[in-house]
Amino acid sequence: MNNEYPSKSLGIFPRSWSEESAGRIPGNIPIWVGILSELTEFAIFFVAYFIAKYHYPEVFATGPQGLSTSLGVANTIILLSSSYFMAKAMMNIRLDDRIKCERYLWLAVSCGAFYLIIKTWEFYWNNLQGLSTSTNEFYTVYYYMTFNHFLHVGWASCAILWVIFRLRAGEYSAAEHSGLEALAVYWHMIDLMWILIFPLLYVLR
Amino acid sequence: MKQFKKLEWFWAILIFITLFNTFLGEQFESTALVSIIVALTVMYKGITVIDHFMELKHANRNLRWLMRMYLILFPSLIIATVFF
Repeated sequence: MNNEYPSKSLGIFPRSWSEESAGRIPGNIPIWVGILSELTEFAIFFVAYFIAKYHYPEVFATGPQGLSTSLGVANTIILLSSSYFMAKAMMNIRLDDRIKCERYLWLAVSCGAFYLIIKTWEFYWNNLQGLSTSTNEFYTVYYYMTFNHFLHVGWASCAILWVIFRLRAGEYSAAEHSGLEALAVYWHMIDLMWILIFPLLYVLR
Repeated sequence: MKQFKKLEWFWAILIFITLFNTFLGEQFESTALVSIIVALTVMYKGITVIDHFMELKHANRNLRWLMRMYLILFPSLIIATVFF
């Protein structure tokens, strides 16, 4: 199998899109294809939210009152902290400090695990309150959005564990850490989606 | 070291905004003003993560533009709902 990169680009995109003129692409191109696909998926959820809210304003005004705001706030702080830890991990790998980098990655994956535990508890708590996907239109949107986001945090947390394994194997250094950077931008994308989801489902009435 | 301190500041600001927005949502009826404040602060949070945590500020300008547009468009819809 030929693993060499092609020496020339395909030439199907304008020259202004190239890294030389538009600037460096963090991570790699495949992760950005993934990120933009995920953003499209979440965009459909957000559009669905606004359409449903337009048609059922009373349901969406009362819906957030049935949710545990404190659990939503806790998860927001946890995800923001995980993004901060990920950014610190990136800074440390650039300084070639693998020990500190690994420490911050463990903190980030711990945040991911805490998020998943809290979210699972929230779903259980909702169930005890008699809430489900069929309660009303608000909860249908709530479960679609939050369960989808839950899955993203789950597999991205597993990806952090994989990156820690690779870091320990000496695969990343100050000179070459594109794999780690690709995971970092993906993780930040997940945090960004929660930044949008949180006010829509927990704050705004 | 300066760069390290900057990140800590952004982290603290993002958490403060989260708590402030929650306070607004819990203490006040969802008025137009509350919705607009929440939408603007969500835009700020998103742009801060894109520029400083995702580090797109000095990276590819097309990706930065796309990400920023996304985090401006959807909070703008929160403001739009005020008028419907």
